[in-house]
Formats: sequence, structure tokens, C-alpha cells
Amino acid sequence: MGYVDVSAVRHTLSDGRVLLDEVSFRVGEGARAALVGENGAGKTTLLRIIAGDLTPEAGSVARTGGLGVMRQFIGSVRDDTTVQRFLVDLSPPAVRAAWDAVEAAELALMETDDERAQMAYAGALAEWGDAGGYDAEVTWDTVTVAALGVPYDRCKYRELSTLSGGEQKRLALEALLRGPDEVLLLDEPDNYLDVPGKRWLEDRLLETRKTVLFVSHDRELLARVADRVVTVEGGTAWVHGGDFASYPEARTARHERLAELRRRWDEEHQRLVDLVRTLQQQAANSPDMANRYHAMQTRLAKFEAAGPPPERPPEQKVSMRLRGGRTGVRAVMAEQLELTGLMQPFDTEIWYGDRVGVLGANGAGKSHFLRLLAGQDVAHTGGWRLGARVVPGFFAQTHAHPEWLDRSPVDLLWHGEPGRPGVDRGRAMAALRRYGLTVAADQPFRTMSGGQQARFQILLLELSGATLLLLDEPTDNLDVLSAEALEEALAAFDGTVLAVTHDRWFARSFDRFLVFGADGRVYESSEPVFDETRVVRAR
Amino acid sequence: MTLVVPPSHEPAAEDPTGPAAEPLLDGPADDSVTAAVGRLNGEFSGRVGPQLVVRVVRDCRRELGGSPVGALPELVERLARYRLDREIG
Repeated sequence: MGYVDVSAVRHTLSDGRVLLDEVSFRVGEGARAALVGENGAGKTTLLRIIAGDLTPEAGSVARTGGLGVMRQFIGSVRDDTTVQRFLVDLSPPAVRAAWDAVEAAELALMETDDERAQMAYAGALAEWGDAGGYDAEVTWDTVTVAALGVPYDRCKYRELSTLSGGEQKRLALEALLRGPDEVLLLDEPDNYLDVPGKRWLEDRLLETRKTVLFVSHDRELLARVADRVVTVEGGTAWVHGGDFASYPEARTARHERLAELRRRWDEEHQRLVDLVRTLQQQAANSPDMANRYHAMQTRLAKFEAAGPPPERPPEQKVSMRLRGGRTGVRAVMAEQLELTGLMQPFDTEIWYGDRVGVLGANGAGKSHFLRLLAGQDVAHTGGWRLGARVVPGFFAQTHAHPEWLDRSPVDLLWHGEPGRPGVDRGRAMAALRRYGLTVAADQPFRTMSGGQQARFQILLLELSGATLLLLDEPTDNLDVLSAEALEEALAAFDGTVLAVTHDRWFARSFDRFLVFGADGRVYESSEPVFDETRVVRAR
Repeated sequence: MTLVVPPSHEPAAEDPTGPAAEPLLDGPADDSVTAAVGRLNGEFSGRVGPQLVVRVVRDCRRELGGSPVGALPELVERLARYRLDREIG
């Protein structure tokens, strides 16, 4: 069993801003600690410091047991990395080093097939065996069978980019959970997993005896798995020793305590300053008071040198104003609608004010359905139409806007687009401030975090005057606080909402559900349905 | 990892059955030696004597004693072939 001990860690960004300071916490043996915080608070940086990728400016990280790391980009690998290389990279350092030595020896042997190269190759193979490489290969076989349904030998040269995001995640998780490392750092392990995949992840994390520190924005996963919560906020970190259910209360109490300590410090500081002033005047008239004056000066200096207690972290203020407007009673009507090749024909009527969760199997056509309603060109048969005064506003997953990548939020707001008039810089900045996006106002869209991109898209919906919101996985990249702000905004929205989501917590805020089954059937449900399996297609 | 090191004694020169007929190991049959001797005897037939093939293969096997068992046949045969090539110049 292993543990992680982070002590007084400090990290400064390249622009001189202190991102993390005095970060100290311990994740004890067998703990399942969640690492939470706003987008950009420093969670991934902290994980990179613990993993040894970054050296802290001050402080230290101690740990026992091997360390396995699942990085955030897994799930979106699009280069030529093979399954074999991927599994090697997830292995302990000794296995990785031995693998690299075998590869180097093989290359040398191809160049010069002499006795020296052959003996070096034999030596590298022996090292591979001693490092546990052959045992690792047996594990990898189990891993690929579990994650992909095929033996290691049949998929080791396959490029990772041919796997779905969920398959990439599952492969990494199987490797780490079955591997020898006793401490796991998992950066958003649930991203790209569908709900059965998330449930599988929760069960595996609950049954593992490894020590786990994980970043997640999925409130359901946090509630089921975390037995303590490490929060990165206000440039430092603190630990709630209980589960996620009691976390909001603990956080509020902590903030109130910090505010109270600061208020008392300010009061005491003012009292001492006033005393010094009074004694200064008295000392001018009475030499007897001079000693008391100097003593009080010293006391004030010591008090100020000790410094004030940390300030209450600023509350993330995301204020979404999705207004909408009254539309015809029937907002969306579909009759014998079939998206070609994706589903059987179905009928539906969605009423003004409905909150409809669009759930179901991956690949069943949910996103296509939303794009069709948004007015995009989607092959279909049957009929559909929007009701009177229904103006669709579409929130797409981030990769759907290649034309935005090099433009800044201010630029995109200034130019506007059909249906959304442009606004001047002042109004743009005011709107961006409400969405916590001031710092990203002038940076290219491509460099914004996933959460910032998501919040910006919701702002565009607000400005477009949409009365029908079509949201495709809107909470995927939102931190917990932003997701709650979105839920509040949707609750206040005067209009109709259709949202594709795998977020179980978010889905509970909807009042009816359209389920796209793996068998091609589309049906209504009054309860969320999350156990539709993936649609099987020839790949 | 403990491997059985094969004996390196020379077979009798007058043995009419040749070296391939005698047991190559004291312990359980060592496939890496048996298979390499069989193939290299055929490959180098007429150019080097069978006794030399056996001796070279056994030496290679001994020197590669720390290698993983699964990789031994390939390693032994490859090294022995290289040495026999050099022997005949």
C-alpha cells in the first residue's frame, strides 16, 4: 500500500502569478481522495507536481509505493501511438526503461548484426525479464481482453487513434487498476465514458485497495467514490475528511470561518493601530507614557509581521442569464422521423417549457437529432418542424467549431453572426465577466480550457435570444460550480430545453426523457435510462 | 531466473552416429540447443564438422545462460550461426 504526502508546495506560473502556495495534504493508504476546484485553479498542475513532471518552487512531495498516472489527454489521443506503446508508457519506470533498452538493442541489431550487438540484445531481454516485463505482457493481455475484447497480440500494433475516447480511457484504467502501482493519480478518468462505463469505474475504484487521488467533475462519481475531498481554491488546498455529500456544507463552514478569522484580525489590527495613535499623543505630553507607547509599537509590528490569516477564497461568480421567451405551445413536432441508418422512425411532441433529457446508446444518433433541430444538414426521412417563435440555439461539443480556434471571445462577440448582433468591447467584457471569462477575453479560443470554452458557448446562447436550447453534453467540461450555475440558469430559462447528457446528476433536473435505444428504437421515459448499450457497428 | 547450463564435453570422434544422436544435456532436453544443432548442421553441412557445430552451439548456450528461456532458441542459434560464419571465413 502507498501514500502521498504533499508538504508546503508552491508553484508560480511563467507570468509571475502564484498558482499554488502552502499546499499541504496527505492521501493515506487505501484512501480514495477527490481533487476538486474551479477550472484553472491548478488541479492538473498539482497532479503533475505529484507525478514528478514539474518540480515545485518550494515544498516537497513524498510517497511510497509505485505511482501510476492517467493523464487528462487520454481519450483524445489522435497521433500514431500504438496500443503497445501506450501500455508501456503506463507501466512502472523499470518496465519502461527495460522496454526502451530492448527497442534500442533491436535497432542496433538491425544495423550491425555482430556478436557484441547480439550479446547486448540478449542482455536487454534479460533485463526485460528481471524488470517484470514478461509478467507485464501477461497483464496487458488480460487488459486488452477486458477493455477491447481482443488478446494483446492481436491489437498491440493498432493505433490508439482508431479507438473511441471511452475505449482509450478503459484501456488505461484496466492497465493501472490491474498493474503493480499502489498509488494512482487519475486526471478526469470518467471523461468519454458512457454511463455503464462510469458505473464500472465507480465499482472498480470502490473495490481497489490502491490509494487513489482523482480529478472529476462528475458529481455522481464523486458522491459514490470519494471518501475525502481535496479542494484547490484561493491558491492553496484544504481537505474535507468526509464524503462528497457533506462537502458543500463543510466548504461553506470553512469559508465562513476564514471570513470570521479575517474579520477578527482586521478588528484587532485596527484596535492596535488606534492604541498606538492614542499612546503617541499621550507620550508627547507625558514622558511616563513613552514606554507604553514604544511597547505598543513593538506589539503592533509583531502583529503585522505575523500577517493576516488567509482570505476567504473569492466565490466563483458565474451568472448565466438565459432568458428565452414565450413560444407556441408545441415547440418541436416530429412525425415518423428517421435519421438515415441510425434509428427506426419515431413520433414525438415537445411542449413549450419542457426539459427533455436525450439519453441512450453511444452512436444511436442523439447528437445528429439535435443538429437536425438546430437546422443543420442531417440526412433524414419523415417530418419535423418547430413551433411558432421557436428560435433554436445549439451548444455543440467543443471540437465542432474549427472556425473559432484562432479567434478570441471578444472578437467573436464583436463580430456577431446571423441571429446574434455584435457587441462593443465594453458590453463584451461585461458579459464575459458574468461568466468568469475576463482572463480569457483576448486569448484564442483554442487555448481556453474545456470549461472556459463551454461557458463561452453558453454565453453565446444567451446573446442569441434562443427560445429552444439544444445542448450536447453541456456539463462535460464544466467544473462542479459551473455545472450548478448552468442548472440554475436552465431552471430560470423561459423556453424549452433538449439536452444530450451522460451526466446523471444533471439529468435528474429534467422532467422527461427521450431514449435512443441500441436496437434503433426511440422511446419516451419518465425516468432517466442509462443502461442502453453501445450501438454495434462494423469498424 | 535459473537455467540449466548444458555440458560442454566433446563427443567421441569415432562415434558413427555423430553428435546429434547423443544426449545434449544432462538434465531435461534443451530445445534451444537441440533445434539449433539440427538446423546448423544442415546449413553448414560440408563446410564445418558436426562436432564443431555442437561445440559452438553449447558455448553460445552457456554464454547466454542468463537470457529468458523463451528467447533462448533464437538467441543461441543466431549467435552460433554468426560464429560459424566467421569460422569458415
